[in-house]
Amino acid sequence: MMKPMIIALAGILLSALNLFAQQDKIDVFPAVPYDRFIVYQNLIIFWIGIIGLIVIIKMKLREIERTQKMGIDKEEKDIPLLD
Amino acid sequence: MKIDFSLVSRRTFLNTLFGGWLVAFMGGSFYGLLKFAFPTLGKEPDFVILKPEDYLNIPDNSVKPFAWGGKLGLFFKHSNGSTAALKGVCTHMECNITYIPQDKKFYCACHKGWFDENGKNIEGPPPKPLEFFDITFEGDKLIVAKKGIKVELPKA
Amino acid sequence: MNCPRLKSWFSERYDFEEMKSLAKQKLVPIHKYEIWYYTGGIVLFLFIIQFITGMVLSFYYIPYFEQAHKSIIDIVTKLNMGWFFRSLHHWGAQIAIVVLFIHVWSTLLLKAYRKPREFLWFSGFILLGISIFFGLSGYLLLWDERAFAAVRVATGGAGNLPVVGEFIKSFLRGGIDVTGDTLTRFYAFHVSVLPLVTLALIGLHVLLVQYHGMSVPLSVKKEERKEIPFFPNLFYKDLVIWLVVLGIIVSLATFLPPEIGKKADPLAPAPENIKPEWYFLFLFQTLKLFPGEILGLNGETIAILLISAGIFFFFLIPFFDRKSQRGEKSTLFTWIGVIYFLYFVIMTVFGFIS
Repeated sequence: MMKPMIIALAGILLSALNLFAQQDKIDVFPAVPYDRFIVYQNLIIFWIGIIGLIVIIKMKLREIERTQKMGIDKEEKDIPLLD
Repeated sequence: MKIDFSLVSRRTFLNTLFGGWLVAFMGGSFYGLLKFAFPTLGKEPDFVILKPEDYLNIPDNSVKPFAWGGKLGLFFKHSNGSTAALKGVCTHMECNITYIPQDKKFYCACHKGWFDENGKNIEGPPPKPLEFFDITFEGDKLIVAKKGIKVELPKA
Repeated sequence: MNCPRLKSWFSERYDFEEMKSLAKQKLVPIHKYEIWYYTGGIVLFLFIIQFITGMVLSFYYIPYFEQAHKSIIDIVTKLNMGWFFRSLHHWGAQIAIVVLFIHVWSTLLLKAYRKPREFLWFSGFILLGISIFFGLSGYLLLWDERAFAAVRVATGGAGNLPVVGEFIKSFLRGGIDVTGDTLTRFYAFHVSVLPLVTLALIGLHVLLVQYHGMSVPLSVKKEERKEIPFFPNLFYKDLVIWLVVLGIIVSLATFLPPEIGKKADPLAPAPENIKPEWYFLFLFQTLKLFPGEILGLNGETIAILLISAGIFFFFLIPFFDRKSQRGEKSTLFTWIGVIYFLYFVIMTVFGFIS
């Protein structure tokens, strides 16, 4: 439910920006193809990082919910807060 | 070979994985931020190119400043007419020095250091002599270079 | 990562047990509207990003009108990843305002402003105004033709308020017209005054949320509801959403870096078809609706009076909505909220296409 909303928002903003794009050309993005590729590569690495983190957090959440369902989280007094 | 009990608990495994990945992610992002926040530390140039007519005609026993990267360079004409170029920066705490023609010495006002006309430190706190440069002429250009640097001009 | 010695060093000085047990008590109700609970946190996260990118950008930006424009071009062209952080700051601002509006309307329609949470609504409203002023002041710092003209129009519009209009206009502009003094003033607002006020208000706002807990919409209040502990369950869910938002902002910043126009010339005529930033469009379309004169009175002044009345009503909605104060369903005010929302959206769209 969140995803379509986010995609819709991005679409609206994309079209919004197009309306304002008729300006004199000052390079706001690296023009050299070599630099461009590095930027895109880094973006992909960044996304891999984010998705990896999300996957791990989901794994943690699954584990937390599993222990909570079993009720054993109430037994151990000393569990750190973020476990 | 299957072992009966796992070596780490689920909790430890997940926490380590999470922590490790988080550190890598934040570290990478922070590195990008730092690269932006820190200015590209300027190196001193290997040589600078000056216009001969601006410097060769100064009176004897005087100096004329020029830009050595971001620092002070001094073009120096001895009282006997011979020319030299040096970095006008005191070797003590990097203040700019000045030339006193009457005494034929260089003087640093910050801690009252004195250098003679060859740059040797003669009085006050400066620990080392002044740094002198090599002067060469290439066509119609006056080139001031660090000692020992082979100057290669770009083919303009 | 257990370090018992480190932990005991701290626990000999600070009572963490108390804090931990307090934190464990923070519970969040779940129901079909719980997704809107996340909007506030997303705005907070985006503001943090703005603070960080803004701070680094301020190392290089020169707030003097002769050099402001060039300093931005230098940032974008000469510095390591300068273009990226400027782009990130731009998109962080845009998305922050979008999510802020979503947050405002979700609290309005779910009536989170009702007793006992009135001060949350008031502090939130002030934060909304501050955020919009953040946007306006930041936009002028570009000092290009569009920004200059847009600020001229915006401050000129403020001048149409009766009685206080001229005073506000000259306060904002730092003089009669938009000049280098305006740039200095807006820069002071943008990097010093507004951040400090924002920090204080956000602190109050978040503290009040902890105190009151999350508001449950009236329509689901009667159901038998589960409550999840914030630590750790919702903390991690928040974190996931924040990471997604970060990814979106970074992607937007990479693929759609903002442009910068020609340097502003105070004596040049206004460029064609000048428009303010999108979150002002609804105000400007409204102004355009009013004729120059109505019954002998200045049309613009009447328009501004009506707009101010609308905004004032919006601000005081917790007091007007008597029914929700008592905990009863208040469909009238739901409709009022919907009308505000539709008006904003329709006027903004009109502003775009006209």
